[in-house]
Amino acid sequence: MIDNNNIALLDGIEVDINGNETILESALKLGKNIPTLCDDSRLDPNGCCRMCLVEISGWPRMAPACATKISSGMEIVTENERISRHRKTLISLYLSDHPENADELETGAPNELLSFANEYGVSNGWPHLKSRRYERPDDPNPFINFQADKCILCARCVRYCDEVEGVSAITLAGRGSDTTIATADNISLLESTCELCGGCIDVCPTGAMGEKMPFLAEALPERALTKVRTTCNYCGVGCQMDLNVDPDGNDGRGKVVKVTSPPAGTTTNDGNLCVKGRFAYDFIDHKERIVSPLIRGVDGLLHEASWSEAIDRASKGLLNVREKRGNDALGFISSSRCTGEENFLVQKLARAVFKTNNVHQCAAT
Amino acid sequence: MKKSDSSKIASVPGKLADRGGLLTGVAKQVSEDTGVPAAEVYGVGSFFHLLSRSDAKVRVCQGLSCWMAGSDEVLSQALDLGLPAEGCSCLAACDQPVAVLRDRLVLPSVGSREIKQSGGDWKKLTSDFLNEEGVWFGHVDSFDDSGQNLAVHLHGNMDFSGEAYQRALELSSDDIIAELETSGLQGRGGAGFPAARKWRSLCDQDKQTCYVVLNADEGEPGTFKDREIIMRRPDKVLEGLAIAALAVGAKEVYCYLRGEFELPIKILKNAIDEFERNDCFPGLSFHIHEGHGAYICGEETALLEALEGKRGLPRLKPPFPTEVGLWGKPTLIHNVETIACVPAIIRSGGNWFRDLGITGAGTKIYCISGHVNKPGVYEMPLGITLDELVEKAGGYVGELKAFSPGGASSGFLPASERSRPLDWKSLGEVGSSLGSAGVVVLNKNVSIRDATRETMVFFENESCGQCAPCRIGTRYQRESLDRYISSKEASDLSLVEDIAWEMEQGSICGLGHTASVPLLSARKWFPEAFE
Repeated sequence: MIDNNNIALLDGIEVDINGNETILESALKLGKNIPTLCDDSRLDPNGCCRMCLVEISGWPRMAPACATKISSGMEIVTENERISRHRKTLISLYLSDHPENADELETGAPNELLSFANEYGVSNGWPHLKSRRYERPDDPNPFINFQADKCILCARCVRYCDEVEGVSAITLAGRGSDTTIATADNISLLESTCELCGGCIDVCPTGAMGEKMPFLAEALPERALTKVRTTCNYCGVGCQMDLNVDPDGNDGRGKVVKVTSPPAGTTTNDGNLCVKGRFAYDFIDHKERIVSPLIRGVDGLLHEASWSEAIDRASKGLLNVREKRGNDALGFISSSRCTGEENFLVQKLARAVFKTNNVHQCAAT
Repeated sequence: MKKSDSSKIASVPGKLADRGGLLTGVAKQVSEDTGVPAAEVYGVGSFFHLLSRSDAKVRVCQGLSCWMAGSDEVLSQALDLGLPAEGCSCLAACDQPVAVLRDRLVLPSVGSREIKQSGGDWKKLTSDFLNEEGVWFGHVDSFDDSGQNLAVHLHGNMDFSGEAYQRALELSSDDIIAELETSGLQGRGGAGFPAARKWRSLCDQDKQTCYVVLNADEGEPGTFKDREIIMRRPDKVLEGLAIAALAVGAKEVYCYLRGEFELPIKILKNAIDEFERNDCFPGLSFHIHEGHGAYICGEETALLEALEGKRGLPRLKPPFPTEVGLWGKPTLIHNVETIACVPAIIRSGGNWFRDLGITGAGTKIYCISGHVNKPGVYEMPLGITLDELVEKAGGYVGELKAFSPGGASSGFLPASERSRPLDWKSLGEVGSSLGSAGVVVLNKNVSIRDATRETMVFFENESCGQCAPCRIGTRYQRESLDRYISSKEASDLSLVEDIAWEMEQGSICGLGHTASVPLLSARKWFPEAFE
């Protein structure tokens, strides 16, 4: 036993007890990664996936590191023969309830279960379970797809929808080995309270919740894509997001085939995105996208122009109106996609240059 | 789960039941009524079989004793006749097989004659065992006709005087708990945890509010004692609860009875009224909560979740309910039989109770069913042997082959263990357990392999599905046995030991810990059945 009141031992290393940390958090500070599947820093600990079980001396059973607070006098072991046997057998069980065909194991997002299987040297060799779970196959929503076979029921999606988004569109339904993820009465997500933020996809560790986006049909798995960090320009919040680029797409120029959120805790949006940020990227390579300024000519048609020509033309037009009709004949409306700084500049333009207070922003209604 | 008002959530299962179960559109109605999100309501409803499959008005018990008495045949006859029937887990009427649930009333001893007489109308299905008031009782007996040496005394008369409670009022909490400690009373629900330790834990805490909860979600196959205790001695149960509440300082008592207990629920309600008429327990409120068909809610933390109106998923422990229980408050939760022993302990003393037993403290209420002449509920000294119990129950029918001493999760023991005392320690020594003391006797005509399969189907159906070792493990074990049954290849069972280990080590609750015991014990004691 340890004498000091404020000390615990984690794999033999002394840990100061300061408040409310879980074993998982304390271990992470020591650089120890205890494997987890159901844990997410944004969610209350659930302890259901059983990957993170550790031994605590004096406790008859192994305890989930994610849900157990470290307290003084605890002697914790995170790696030994028993724990290793447990993890390997557990992974084998998970794999036996996972797609049998290796090609289906990871078609999109990285499958964390598969990563652990590789790390622990567990192959997918056990006979597979016969019974299937219900997965709402006819849901017409355009964005989110659920494959029950890949679901390990960690309930991250359900808890995220509930605890982070406050939307509660999905639930654990049924019980026992038939348990699945469902909506009320299995209605489409479109009829439910779902806001299609896609957070369920982001938190899913196995890709059971996935995108329906058409670009993904022929894309490489996410691990083979290049991530390009950028700021979402749909509104001024400034969410960080990763454009997932298929380097071979667009004849080698690269093609954005997916948007993912950076890991929770790394950016201001804490891993969250909204429906626009996560799914509305198909404009990027859209054939109708306007990629240069256009000026309407005397022939009534739009003609490609340079930026300086376009700005010159716009300023002449505005000055012309002011001269003929006065300052207040002009009004300025900026876009909700502008940042605060850009909105400031728009009102500066209105007030200082064109001497009018007619200025507004589309999101300010 | 976080946002909604706790009392609104608590009412969700009841409101679903009031609307006829989880029919299309009902989740939305209950959501509008309570403010609980529709998906969450659906999740709750879909967890409980009486709600999720409410159109099945006739449920035929598939528990071991009913199965041995031909429940498969009764079910197929019912289906042939067009009854809205399906199989279900144990209905706690193993003494009167085949048990059939008609809506929420358990009908005892239903055979093909009763099925035929219904003429295909489920409302007309009945049993000769019902008396004129539509009530039935099982057979009970004890080792002491005078009742002087019985803690529960099932064949005694109900007593609403509250005499033991009056006696407790004269004692301090410490004195009451000391008496309980002396008695050596161990929890009768399965684990055998010392009752006084729970009471003491509550008393030791600085608390504003705490609760007492009665666990009457009796569902362990082979077990039907709580049914009979409530039917015959609700006075003992309620007085025990009142004494417990007095000792730990609780003002509210919640009684959780399985939803299939239509008759016990009625009788318990009447008994509460009777005590209230006498104003026996001033300042104490009793609340009755009906379950809706989920064995796992007999696990105490799953029961608390269900009481709170949620899916019955067991909580992580620690913390235990004595510290973080109902609505997060310290909660004393006891099995029916445990609490029914309390009045006699207070009245006659802890020493008296302790000395009643042979190898452990007190009398014990044993259920016995299967191949014996007089299946029933017997109050006997703790630690009698199978032979002694069966002698009381009229002797064996046929030649003893195996027995299950304490419900499905205690597994099977061979006839050679017939002289082993039926107590926690002695049975634990051979990898079994006294559990809930639901003894099932199997004679030579029963296939151990098939009986094992029945119990495995039970655990697969009743796993809550929360944690992978149990959710996947129970199904995996059953599918392995099925593969073996069709192939006869021993290799089909090569993984079951590994999976059993993982289920025991990795599961959250006792269901997963013990679900492999039937298969492992059957293979250990009856290897020839798997060769």
